[in-house]
Amino acid sequence: MKFLAVLFLSLFTEAHVVAQQTAVYAAVLSTKSFVVGGKNPMTGLFFQRPSDDTLWQHSGAPNVRVSGVAVKVEHPLGGKLLYLAAGNGVHRSTDGGATWKIVTDWRVTEVQWVTIDPRNSSVVYIATPYGVFKSSDGGNAWKEMSRGLEASHFISSIIVDVVNSNIVYCSTEDGAYISRDAAATWQRMGLSVGGVRVIAQDPDNPKTLAVGTEDNGIYISHDGGEVWMKKESGVDHSTFYTVVFDPHDSRILYAGGYVTGVYKSTDSGESWRRTNDGLTCLNVHSIAVDPANSNRIYAASMGDGVFRSDDGGAHWKFAGLRNAEVWRLAIQ
Amino acid sequence: MIYAVLLIFPAVNAMAGTFEERKAELLQEASNERGRNIFLVAAKIATHHDERYALTMLDSLINDQQIGGMFYSYQMIATYLYLQSGLPDSLKEKIRTAYRTRTMYRGDTENHWVAYYTGLYLAAQTWHDEDGSHWFNGKSSKENFDEAKDWLNEWMRITTTIGQGEFDSPTYFIVFITPMMALQQFALDNTMKKKAEMMADYLFADFAVENLNGNYCGAHSRDYPEDIVNPLRAPNVPWAWLYFGTPKNAPWLPTLGLPRQPVFRHPTSSNESLGYAWEVVFGALSSYRLPEIIFHVATDRSVPYVDKEQKRVRNIIRFGKEMNPQVYKYTYMTDQYALGSIQGGILQPIQQHTWDVTYVSDKPGNTLFTLNPFYSGKELAMFFPEEQKFLTDEVNRYHKVYTDPNKWNSSSPYEQTFQCKNAIIVLYNITPTAHHRQVDGFFSKNLDERITLANRWILCKAGKTYIAFFPLKQYEWIEEPNDWRWRSYDVKNGVVVEVGRESEYGSFEAFRKTFSAAAIDAKDFDKTLTVRYTTHMGDTMQFTYGGARILNGHTVDFSHYKLFDSPFLHSDIGSGVLTMTYKNMTRILDFNAVAIRNGMVTK
Repeated sequence: MKFLAVLFLSLFTEAHVVAQQTAVYAAVLSTKSFVVGGKNPMTGLFFQRPSDDTLWQHSGAPNVRVSGVAVKVEHPLGGKLLYLAAGNGVHRSTDGGATWKIVTDWRVTEVQWVTIDPRNSSVVYIATPYGVFKSSDGGNAWKEMSRGLEASHFISSIIVDVVNSNIVYCSTEDGAYISRDAAATWQRMGLSVGGVRVIAQDPDNPKTLAVGTEDNGIYISHDGGEVWMKKESGVDHSTFYTVVFDPHDSRILYAGGYVTGVYKSTDSGESWRRTNDGLTCLNVHSIAVDPANSNRIYAASMGDGVFRSDDGGAHWKFAGLRNAEVWRLAIQ
Repeated sequence: MIYAVLLIFPAVNAMAGTFEERKAELLQEASNERGRNIFLVAAKIATHHDERYALTMLDSLINDQQIGGMFYSYQMIATYLYLQSGLPDSLKEKIRTAYRTRTMYRGDTENHWVAYYTGLYLAAQTWHDEDGSHWFNGKSSKENFDEAKDWLNEWMRITTTIGQGEFDSPTYFIVFITPMMALQQFALDNTMKKKAEMMADYLFADFAVENLNGNYCGAHSRDYPEDIVNPLRAPNVPWAWLYFGTPKNAPWLPTLGLPRQPVFRHPTSSNESLGYAWEVVFGALSSYRLPEIIFHVATDRSVPYVDKEQKRVRNIIRFGKEMNPQVYKYTYMTDQYALGSIQGGILQPIQQHTWDVTYVSDKPGNTLFTLNPFYSGKELAMFFPEEQKFLTDEVNRYHKVYTDPNKWNSSSPYEQTFQCKNAIIVLYNITPTAHHRQVDGFFSKNLDERITLANRWILCKAGKTYIAFFPLKQYEWIEEPNDWRWRSYDVKNGVVVEVGRESEYGSFEAFRKTFSAAAIDAKDFDKTLTVRYTTHMGDTMQFTYGGARILNGHTVDFSHYKLFDSPFLHSDIGSGVLTMTYKNMTRILDFNAVAIRNGMVTK
């Protein structure tokens, strides 16, 4: 009820405009009580300003099974650019969330992940159960880019290389893939296991990649994806939905997954330890490190909203969106 | 055969009166109801009965912010169009506004998309030439119209060339037929209007060929367990009553001793405002009339026949090499019972109904079948993109029984069937790590007789239908309120079933004597998983789990299956053409030419 109260407060007393300041974004896929076609609590994109960390405001369409969000501040048109990966396609706002448009048609459905090329905001990639799609004109037109992904069209995440926009990585049910020609063709990397749920790249060492898998733990490569090593030291779980690098110190990684809570590594992923004090839901689907404050970490849970730590993950407290299945967090 | 010069015949006059009477009765009944339900509102306004209440209720439904989604998408615009002259401008404007302010989620199933895109098509057609600021999804009228048109055409193409995914569902039939009838009535584009009419014919024909006294017979892609064990309470029944005239009595009458409301239980019954399955009211309001030939297909059971169909599996997004593998469907129809099956395995998640005998009866529970109650996150993850370790809990939230060991609907990767006319062999090879390792069978308490012979055959009498059921392994009976649950725990398991009619045997005693001497060859079954049985029609069936289905010495070749293959319906894979035949009448739905050709067959 508190969740709904906050929600309605946001609906009726706040403008539906995402402010031009740092914010935490939460893609709420569902809730514990979701029923297809029924009366459901509000889900979708929520955001929170640091200036008021008790209030989550909603933006965009409710209840469209949002599983990803991408944000870009410096949009050529001036407003903040937002993309949502949703069940009914890609939602785009070019005015910071004031207005939205679904920019895909029936060919694009159940979008899992959306990412904007950091060097060219006109280029957008999405991961879907039916392959990779790319837009080169700011989301107006989309083209399937799945050549080489025939072994599995189920794509769970996609990222653009931190240095070279021609290099794109994606995680699939079959394994981890790389494209060196901006998604025109894909090649399977050297990872031997399938069920890859997420792929991440070290922001300081582009050759270092990390993946979280279904039932196969965490793997890291330091040579751009040729050789992968399973990282088992301190790891007592097997399914990981999120692996992230600390943007300030990429030797620090966080990971979370099925009943894992939050795992932290301070030695580039060689060893891990669980750090769950205060974390009352151990199913973690996304983790985000505040780029302005490395000690502030957010963890998205599957069924109990968002948790926040202000001491680098040592202690956690509930941060809102009770009962929500939060699939993705982003901090801009 | 030569198709004579084509005749355009209207829905036959002989049945039109009957239909009109049923239609009037239906609208009268619905208009007397006072549920929070858009179809009841429509009935009241259309019949000018209780209109003030209806308009107030409609206002409430339009304004309820918690109602939305794909069903709302077509229901609101259909209400607007069916009742236009009966609606005050203020309500029309509110409906219009809803398409700007209300999120209408597209959903993730075939029926969801049919509902969503039909609604979007008609709404964008109605409020054309408006920019994206007037629509909930930010797209202009033209963008919405073009997208809806494009997908509807694609759905019709796939359905008529490789088969429907959510096929032959007593529950979801209503979510396909209702939008198609609205589209047929209100589409302004002549091509779409004609194709919608043809799809309505197609869906009705698909139902009709397996209709037995209102029961939607044969295997189902999806159905709710309460409807599986009691087929005459399923949502398809009011449609069968209205259009086929079967069952004889109106479905809301307590003829079967059923509670009244669940007859109309809606697939989204948790949504109070959508309420029960009164969609048939929109059928009654529609100008669509069932072609005479489909009526005959639905009701003439004078000669038993085999109906073979090919359908497709729901989109497989993980753990499979093929997105839409084929489903091979086989149904034997008689005037007293139908025996129907699909080949087994996972062909639809959650609500699959693989085989059953459904028989004519004036009592509830007129069916018999077995299943292995299976569930797994991986099965769900084959079809849904969410995390497989959470999918089971999520599905359990709204389908309630998914993990229930006593559920009456289930796919199972450990179940395979082989049917020939009135006989079926069902085999199980259940992995020891499965959550539920038993085989369950539904035996209604309303059977007239159930006896067990010394040679292990279990014989049942249900009116004029006689069922012989041979269990390969030990079993127990568990008494439940409305049935006896047959349960067998052996993981290598199976049953052989043969069905007969009183007209064939003369009496149940004769049936008993026949099966007292009937033998099953299943020696070394645990090693070979092979059963051999010769039916009383003289067909020898040999079936090995995971192996060949051999009929009279020849391996059954599913590659020859057509979309429809029966005395009444014929359609080749990839053709886009359905030919209906009844005696000397034909009706051809040609989706390539977007044409209906009626004719007379001459020798």
